[in-house]
Amino acid sequence: MITIPYKHKMAAHCESGSITSLLNNAGLDITEPMVFGISSGIFFGYFHKMKSFPFPTFIVRNKPGKMRENLTKRAGIKFHTYTFKDPEKGRQMLNRLLEQNIPTAAQVDFFYMDYIPSWERVHINVHFIVVVGLNTYHYLVSDSYFPELVSLKTESLNTARFAGGNMSPKGFLFHPEFIPKDIDYEKAIIKGIKKSCFNMLKIPIPFLGVKGIRLFAKKIIEWPSLARDTEHLSHEIMKINILLEDQGTGGGGFRFMFATFLQQAAGMINEPELLDFSKKMMEIGDGWREFSLLAARFGKNRDLGPERMKELSEKLMDRAQVEQQFFSQLYKTIK
Amino acid sequence: MKEKDGYINCPEQQVILYVEKEDGQYGPMQTGSYLSGNYLDDYEIKRVHLEESLRIRVMKGEISMVKYYMVLEDLTLSELAARVGLSKTKVNRHLDPVHFGKAKVETLKKYADVFNVPVSNMLQVIMLKKGDNLESYTVLEEKKQTEGIEQVKTENPYVMLVIIGEKRK
Repeated sequence: MITIPYKHKMAAHCESGSITSLLNNAGLDITEPMVFGISSGIFFGYFHKMKSFPFPTFIVRNKPGKMRENLTKRAGIKFHTYTFKDPEKGRQMLNRLLEQNIPTAAQVDFFYMDYIPSWERVHINVHFIVVVGLNTYHYLVSDSYFPELVSLKTESLNTARFAGGNMSPKGFLFHPEFIPKDIDYEKAIIKGIKKSCFNMLKIPIPFLGVKGIRLFAKKIIEWPSLARDTEHLSHEIMKINILLEDQGTGGGGFRFMFATFLQQAAGMINEPELLDFSKKMMEIGDGWREFSLLAARFGKNRDLGPERMKELSEKLMDRAQVEQQFFSQLYKTIK
Repeated sequence: MKEKDGYINCPEQQVILYVEKEDGQYGPMQTGSYLSGNYLDDYEIKRVHLEESLRIRVMKGEISMVKYYMVLEDLTLSELAARVGLSKTKVNRHLDPVHFGKAKVETLKKYADVFNVPVSNMLQVIMLKKGDNLESYTVLEEKKQTEGIEQVKTENPYVMLVIIGEKRK
């Protein structure tokens, strides 16, 4: 039986949370919003038709894995990473790392995390947990979405690490390898902000960034024609609330976490203008939350006629407008 | 968002929100999920209705248990095919009860593993008697409120131990 001493803490998001928790436990004092901001976590993408999704959906953060990669590029923190073709080798490596007392993050299919209530669990291959112990039948797991350390059946973790499908984890593992003594936070923060602005404004793809929010606004009108029935439409409309509030965003589709990052950054790099941006971003997040609560209410009341869809669409157009303005101003200020 | 506006009573699903504290500083607060705290009953009603409509189609022979679980678990044909390691054409055939009947037990096991159910559940629908009503085991099991029946894995991947409780008087 192995139990690595590990300070578990809930976090808003699984990837930024597991990275932060690994770094904190390795002795680096860094917050989740700082990890999120430096790694340009904030984003938007709308997917109207994709092979992997049975219904249109959207994302509010950058591509899974990018947070870790960007943190390495910008703050010099190196992680040891592993992927496996053979599940047995993947299992052995995780156990070996635990035997060496190395808390190790694993990419998994969220569906098999059976300590999470069933209504939350969906097949999504990009959940991150930190494994901190092992006995004959269970792993000991630190999951940002759960208040305390939990046991997970070895069989469940092995299945979750090697689930197939879109963004299959392939047994992916990582742990910190090198943490610089003096991180140049100023450089890392500025780079993180610039890239966030670029991602929101300048990617020449019509469904990404602010353009993606506008596309979502246009396409949500079509959602009723794509649903099986009213209950299905209600479910999908209410899922907007899950994606913006519950699915590890820290609320308001990560906008509250980004506001917190800007506030912390203002103090760290002595850039008071960032405080104003931080306040504006908090207000933008409030607008997203208002939108998501409205969607939940419409869904619950089955109030899903064309007028309501139009109302949601207008709210989204408004979000696109304010974010366009915000990121344009931020880009000019930080340049 | 102000900290006072973030409080939701939902111990079953806790989340972290970033909020404005009383001193104007932004930081994390642990609270409940808005949706689960307010609308979980609605989710469950829709889940029960969806399961029922799929079960009726399964029993009429219109769809197979592969389709039943695929829809319940919100998977697309492509995603399911990639997860079980079969071609889309083959999986598409298995959605139909006639072709499903030709599938090997080994293939059914692959589907069952993806759906995280015993392989025996690819060939049966379990209902529990609740008073005068029958309730679906699939939905009850998700809620972990099953009484009287338990399916336990054995070392033999193709055999489940089904424990049925005593009949209550």
